[in-house]
Amino acid sequence: MKRLDLNVNDGSVGFQIAPMIDVVFVIMLFFMVMAGAVKVEKELNSQLPGVAETSGSTDFVDEQLITITEAGEVSLNDEAMDTPDSHDLPQLKGTLMRLKQNADAAKTPVIVTIISEEMAKYSRTVDVLNALAVAKIDSVSFTVTEEE
Amino acid sequence: MAGGGGGGDGSEPEFQVAPMIDVLLVLLIFFMTLTSAQVLKVDKSIKLPVAPDAQKQDTQRAQVILNVRWNPETKKASFVYDDKVYEQSGDLVPLIKVAKEAGEHKILEGKNPTFRCVIRGDRDVPAIYVSQAMNTAAEAGISDISFSAVNKN
Repeated sequence: MKRLDLNVNDGSVGFQIAPMIDVVFVIMLFFMVMAGAVKVEKELNSQLPGVAETSGSTDFVDEQLITITEAGEVSLNDEAMDTPDSHDLPQLKGTLMRLKQNADAAKTPVIVTIISEEMAKYSRTVDVLNALAVAKIDSVSFTVTEEE
Repeated sequence: MAGGGGGGDGSEPEFQVAPMIDVLLVLLIFFMTLTSAQVLKVDKSIKLPVAPDAQKQDTQRAQVILNVRWNPETKKASFVYDDKVYEQSGDLVPLIKVAKEAGEHKILEGKNPTFRCVIRGDRDVPAIYVSQAMNTAAEAGISDISFSAVNKN
């Protein structure tokens, strides 16, 4: 086996490009793998109802009510939508998208109020907000039912 | 830079290391920024709910961030604002009012006209506590509310 010559007086050791490329490749692979696993924080926007100016005439708009029970059941205007363990809520998404298309055609706004039971999980509310985001409905308000 | 190909002398073009390192470093910087830019905002005790279709975060806006923690053992929620924990959301109203007044001075006209409140609630927290956080924002005069979520589990 060839021995490593440690005599530094023999001349300068030049800059080695090959190990540098090796290291850069490894670092790049690390970041490439990390980029795929990274979680991105996103946002669902809503606007709280405010004070409306009443100097002009105002049109009445249909308000859609989405209720969420503690068990995770979701219903739109008292009609049950999807199963409590469905996070994608395909039936609700489809109905909301049709609703939005019809409203756009009639040039009327879609206003949705989410009514959640007090102890219903927040993640279920976000599932519904996600379905509303897919349907591009942004006039959303959120309220909680008072337990009696 | 030394020409690699196109010469008419018929010789084989040599493998150029320098441009390869250039490309490699650019790729490295790209992936580094991609991963480091997505670092989640602070409070690691909160497991955000999943919303794959939510919008990309607008980081340019003036905002307050209100965290809603959930302790599954004690079954109690707490509100975290500016790294301080509050049991009652009502205690936050004066603090958020102050933050709103300070933030509104920074808002550029036309671009981001409103100050907003970002609610980062744990996925298991009951809806009533998120509603309380929204009430707090409303009492502080903020009507623009955003809910934070992650793109995947």
